[in-house]
Amino acid sequence: MYHVCRTYIKQGMKMFDLIEENPSLLLMMQHFDIDFRVSDLTVRQLCTERELSEKLFISIANLYNGFKPKENPIGSIDDVKRVISFLKNSHNYYRNDKYPQISAYIKLLQKKHPEKEIKLLEKFFNEYFTEVIEHLDYEDNVAFPYFIELIGNREKSKTNLYSAHEYSEHHTDIELKIKDLKNLLLKYVAINDDLSLRRKLLFSLCELEYDLYIHSLIEETILIPFGYRMEKA
Amino acid sequence: MNRHRLHIAIMVHSPIIYEGLHAVISQSEMDCIICKPNSLDDLENVLHSQKVDILITNPLLLVNREKEVKRIRKNYPDFSIVGVNLGIVDNHSLSLLDSSFTIFDTAEQVLSKLQKAGNNSEPKVTANDDNLTERELDVLTKLVHGFSNKEIADSLNISIHTVVTHRKNITAKTGIRSQSGLTIYAITKRIISIEDVDLQNH
Repeated sequence: MYHVCRTYIKQGMKMFDLIEENPSLLLMMQHFDIDFRVSDLTVRQLCTERELSEKLFISIANLYNGFKPKENPIGSIDDVKRVISFLKNSHNYYRNDKYPQISAYIKLLQKKHPEKEIKLLEKFFNEYFTEVIEHLDYEDNVAFPYFIELIGNREKSKTNLYSAHEYSEHHTDIELKIKDLKNLLLKYVAINDDLSLRRKLLFSLCELEYDLYIHSLIEETILIPFGYRMEKA
Repeated sequence: MNRHRLHIAIMVHSPIIYEGLHAVISQSEMDCIICKPNSLDDLENVLHSQKVDILITNPLLLVNREKEVKRIRKNYPDFSIVGVNLGIVDNHSLSLLDSSFTIFDTAEQVLSKLQKAGNNSEPKVTANDDNLTERELDVLTKLVHGFSNKEIADSLNISIHTVVTHRKNITAKTGIRSQSGLTIYAITKRIISIEDVDLQNH
């Protein structure tokens, strides 16, 4: 699902063309709270209109197109707030949209195929889902407020017990178990028929895996390095 | 991401040569992904985010770019450059190449040059061949029954280090990392019986 070798996004390109080439950019726009009706706007015009840093937008859009940022695009306090709001919005997407959808598909699959293997798959997913929710809650309640505090009041946060380092330690690759599920469904667990339901399930898993991967990259290559920089300052 | 798949970048300005190479390579037996950087800068952007095993380029595009080529080679030592010789030759930029072919070569000749260049970056272990060895099956069985690395090492009379190596190989072969995922794998492969697994408390 995570395709590379796409266009390297630049400020003069039209958003419409870019979305046509990689529709996943719509998901990025949703996380940025940007409306999908992009008319004929270029990347630069869109950013100006939405009062969003062009550099930040282009870096994250390029992550969706398969290019990691060469330098940290965070240049202002406003950028940090934007990144955190982006990450929070993606949490809501996982929590309220993607995971319930996958969970419903697996439940349906289990209902139609009462074999114990499928029961185990469901159990596997439910346990994983609980882990993910814990992780998202932790980021929402502990990690993100720390970064907000870091930009608001540097002196105070220096004495804080929490740190970007602790965040990076706590930060795990939550997409790995999605890979396990995909491997199990595509290579090992035998299920007869129900292609449509299984395809929907696999598509959802791929979509989730793709966004989670980018989510981790934003945290690892943008937010955590920024935290280190601020703590040193 | 597939380990044995070759990642090839084609950097030529002529659309006819690009399309021709693309057709020859993509219709061959080679398992590969092709990308099209427009310049060395572009290539560095691609390399920053993903691996590239082979760059196919017109050596004339490397004229006076020796510094960049050396930098790329230093940062990505496994990477090979194959030149496509269009008839005009610059001896200096030829020295930057690992090998080359001409536009008069047959498809087979071109492919064999690429295969050779790709062998340099071929990893030793082939991923995703799930034939587990006897020992790996022993480790897997203990693992899905909830044994810790230390307990597995003690019961099989091997070191913890060996257990860790077996676990890494199991994951490389099956594509599955987590203990609960491996349990489902072991059941579908009849390595353990489903009755062994407690659905409530596992």
